[in-house]
Amino acid sequence: MNILLQLLLILFLAKILAEIIERAGFPGILGEMAAGIFLGMLWINPDEDILSFFSLLGAIFLLFTAGYKEINLQELKASTKIALIPTLCGVIVPFSFGFLLGKAFNFEFMECLFMGVAFSPTSIGVSVRTLIDLDYLSKKIGSTMLSSAILDDIIGIFMFSVLISIATYHHIPTSMQLMVIGGKFVIFLIIMIILGWKIFPVLFTYIHKMHVKESIFAFVFMIAIFSAYLAEVFSLHAVIGAFIGGVCLSGIPLAKIEDVQNKVSGISYGIFVPIFFAYIGLSIDLSAIQGAGLFALLVIVMALSGKLIGGFIGTKIAGCDNKNSLIFGVGMMPRAGVELVFISVGRGLGIIGDEIFSAIVLMIVVSVIVSPALLKLVIEYKERSGSTSN
Amino acid sequence: MTIDYSKLIVAEIMTKDVMSVGENTTIVDLLELFGKYHYHSYPVISQAGELVGIISEDIVLEILMFNQMPACGHTHLSVIRSCSDVAGGIMTTHPVTVSQDANLSETADLMLKHHVHRVYVVEQGKLVGILSKRDIVNEICKRRE
Repeated sequence: MNILLQLLLILFLAKILAEIIERAGFPGILGEMAAGIFLGMLWINPDEDILSFFSLLGAIFLLFTAGYKEINLQELKASTKIALIPTLCGVIVPFSFGFLLGKAFNFEFMECLFMGVAFSPTSIGVSVRTLIDLDYLSKKIGSTMLSSAILDDIIGIFMFSVLISIATYHHIPTSMQLMVIGGKFVIFLIIMIILGWKIFPVLFTYIHKMHVKESIFAFVFMIAIFSAYLAEVFSLHAVIGAFIGGVCLSGIPLAKIEDVQNKVSGISYGIFVPIFFAYIGLSIDLSAIQGAGLFALLVIVMALSGKLIGGFIGTKIAGCDNKNSLIFGVGMMPRAGVELVFISVGRGLGIIGDEIFSAIVLMIVVSVIVSPALLKLVIEYKERSGSTSN
Repeated sequence: MTIDYSKLIVAEIMTKDVMSVGENTTIVDLLELFGKYHYHSYPVISQAGELVGIISEDIVLEILMFNQMPACGHTHLSVIRSCSDVAGGIMTTHPVTVSQDANLSETADLMLKHHVHRVYVVEQGKLVGILSKRDIVNEICKRRE
């Protein structure tokens, strides 16, 4: 099929199905993935190079936009103080569950590590509506969840970058190789920090004076691509570089003019990101899910219970009571965008196969459908039992 | 007579008497300010007297309408803002600033090209004025008369 027609169909279906799903009260990415599944069942070949490239741009701009628009370094410092222990427990427990589950099913060491990493991040976007409806967003446990969500995405991205670097060796690296991996990561970070701190702010004072059209937007776009490329030069993955590039621009006023932010958001969420999610849908092997019955079920149970137990233990250590700890654990169960980027990259690099990929996609879908309902139940349970602490 | 705007500097036409708010100004007080005056945004000044952010009508509207917004509008940052009750927690922390001696035509070009409605004039981090598109238009009209 003509590639232009493929793009048109993907974007059209992704937007229409996302709208229907959003109006039904679920996250739009389910609709975007459903568009891919639907088109895959009909006629589009998911191995199309151009679609795969657009999908990579989607993953890059999903993480770049997260760093560029959503990260506030001052707020991050405050989050670390509030939510460090609950976040660490909420990462370590699901990571262990993912790793052990992989071991139990005799997957290779790298696949087990990857499952652990893919179980670790959180996407509490779907929990927010429930927290608002039940007036829990402004309570202490609600703000701890918000702080923790951003922290554990960052920890997840760090773990993912280490894993990707290790995967390039195709075996468990020696201590020397691990030092090389760490060294490359540190050098990349130092370069990006210098660029973001000293070079980019000066660069933009010249860019805004350029006569050519859309100079600031073009350079913000270029910095996304540049940081993605530079990460690859240092054996990291492009999406990690894009995220760090976004963070580097997040404090530069001229790069964050409202108009420019809207254009970056438009090209990301309007075009590239829906194609990325639809491509995930296209890549799902439905027969692999059917064949992986028990494994897929255990992936769902272990990933969700890992977050629940880790979050519960962490908030208990931090001094919360049982009911609030339970609310925190359930609120941290949903997974979405970042996890999908991880598994998409993992599959692309050949670290995981169709069985793990499809099972984790299924887990993500179940998590965003089930978590808000469970969260509502536990909050109502707490209110009924008359606890007054918040 | 043709006026050469390239020789004008921002300090000549900026509004010097600026109404600002502190980081601890409550949202209730901010709403009162927006109701009482016609300004579209207020600069936020730290205790050290430095410009640290701005509160625009867009932010206030976002907070007021937060509960009614579709779920896809709940970004991490907007959720954090909705939980705060003081200016420091909801402000935009990256206002576009220029110095007093910035060239007016270059500043106007920036505002036109990138749809920036007003820029904040600072000297060593301290706010000394605001320049809006309206200020520039008024000045040009005045000089044409």
